[in-house]
Amino acid sequence: MLTKKGKYGLKALAALSELPEGQLAFVGDVAKGNNIPKKFLDAILAELRNAGFVHSRKGKAGGYCLARPADEIKIGHVVRVLDGPLAPIPCASKTRYQPCTDCDEATCQIRHLMLDVRNAIADVLDNTSLTQMRAMGGADALGSEAMTA
Amino acid sequence: MSTSNGRSSVTIIGGGASGVLLAAHLLRDPKTDIRVTLIERRGQFGQGLAYSASQRDHKVNVPARGMSAFADDPEHFWRWLQTRGYPAARGSWVFVPRRLYGVYLEHVLSEAGQSRLGRLVVLSEEAVAVHEGKSGIETVLDNGTSLISRSVVLAVGHETQPARGRGIAVRVGSERDTPLPENAPVMILGSGLSMVDAWLSLADAEHKGPITVVSRNGLLPKGHRDVPPINIDAADVPFGTSLPYFMRWFRALARETEARGGDWRSVVDGLRPYNQRIWKNWTSNAKRQFLRHLRPWWNIHRHRLPPELHERLVRAVGTGQVKLVAAEFLGVERNGDGARAQIRRRGTSERETMDIARVYDCGGVSVDVLSSSNPVIRDLVANGRARPDTFRIGLDVDENCAVVDADGKSHERLLVVGPLTRGRFFEIEAIPDIRVQAATLAARLLAQG
Repeated sequence: MLTKKGKYGLKALAALSELPEGQLAFVGDVAKGNNIPKKFLDAILAELRNAGFVHSRKGKAGGYCLARPADEIKIGHVVRVLDGPLAPIPCASKTRYQPCTDCDEATCQIRHLMLDVRNAIADVLDNTSLTQMRAMGGADALGSEAMTA
Repeated sequence: MSTSNGRSSVTIIGGGASGVLLAAHLLRDPKTDIRVTLIERRGQFGQGLAYSASQRDHKVNVPARGMSAFADDPEHFWRWLQTRGYPAARGSWVFVPRRLYGVYLEHVLSEAGQSRLGRLVVLSEEAVAVHEGKSGIETVLDNGTSLISRSVVLAVGHETQPARGRGIAVRVGSERDTPLPENAPVMILGSGLSMVDAWLSLADAEHKGPITVVSRNGLLPKGHRDVPPINIDAADVPFGTSLPYFMRWFRALARETEARGGDWRSVVDGLRPYNQRIWKNWTSNAKRQFLRHLRPWWNIHRHRLPPELHERLVRAVGTGQVKLVAAEFLGVERNGDGARAQIRRRGTSERETMDIARVYDCGGVSVDVLSSSNPVIRDLVANGRARPDTFRIGLDVDENCAVVDADGKSHERLLVVGPLTRGRFFEIEAIPDIRVQAATLAARLLAQG
């Protein structure tokens, strides 16, 4: 399931995607504009930078911007980085598999169903770009005002 | 000029594995109305660069169970092997001689032709040019005739480029690859699978002289093991991330798999179905970084050797007959009957001179289409009707395998199948991937009519 971390990360990326070309945004502004705790956002943006989705610059004129065009960034790719392999329940991940204590993975019908669910989730999220997601809500909903640094 | 009515007709240029697989897929459904012309200059079908090796020990580097011509009938090759009485003590995890696979492809082609009488024409000619016109695409042959079809597919596959060193270096199996005195010192450029072919030819000829293998990294291909791929879903794979991020994930997964008693090969093979998607979602920058820094390392893990062959090679390195040198090859000049090569070892700045009887160029099959030996490709590129891909490892094609011209425009009726599309798909070197591409392409061509 999408955690707060994943959700904040996506909101921050959507906000960054509104920046004019070549401009950077302060973490504080993105945090304020989207009701995200700043410390948490610092950590999230650092992870997104490590994964190659955002660039950062230090110093007075520093801040964050997208590292690649918004229509190339797929939502599913971001969520995997922030929340781990897409999986509705922990036992439904193949690589980060965490067995449940109360059932047998081979016969558990719920796990089998959830494996199908995760593939459906991946299908939707991997076929939605940041640009497409942004178009789903109004600009106000993304807190894009006062965003430029 | 011979003309057909131009409807539902496909000309395939190149009768190696890629061309044969495409022809077989086009003719597979008896209900479709299609004519296929397959052109191969050597007149031997199914025996391109990879599957014509005549030496007994030159084996296919993929186990027989993965080599069926049809992805939806994975036992097809295996069944055929058994009708030929191929010994199968160890089941389908065997590595058959490449020549035998060439014979299989011939069989696949003749079966396709017999099942659809009059639908398949094979020509032992060389195609020299293709021209797009109103009524279809004209393929010009070097005998002066030409033929028209609705679509043309370039299946020229792996290409042999001229050997390096202004023709002093020699390609294995070429006319100039004449027998050597048994104690002659030899140098091989490149340490990948082609080097293994060269070494094997020497070993089979009971060559006793020292063999120096020179490559930038000095890495030998790894050997296969009969282990199942791990189960990975698309939802597990970090697509679209930076290369360092992806590599950390990949290495951690390999470590965890080995910690559980598994094998890294299972991770490489488990990821295989996603390789094209991983490549596609990387930025151009990440792809470039991969090609420059990781490709040699990836190749030795991904393109592995049959285990017996690997053991034999490791033994030859152990006895000192084969010497691996990580160095840059600087050049070669004639030296009496032999050659004098210059190399610079990795981490040093000094040139080193080596006198050898012969240099074999086994520098891999990646092609720069600008210096293609194929007249059709050369003509297309020279006239701006095709262009190299961004990374100069093949021909630029769009998502549907259509040729992209110098202005970036796709040509829907001029397509490419096989390894030449590696700039877009990357993982398109081996039968398991080419057969899937052939099936997709055939379905699209048949739907277009």
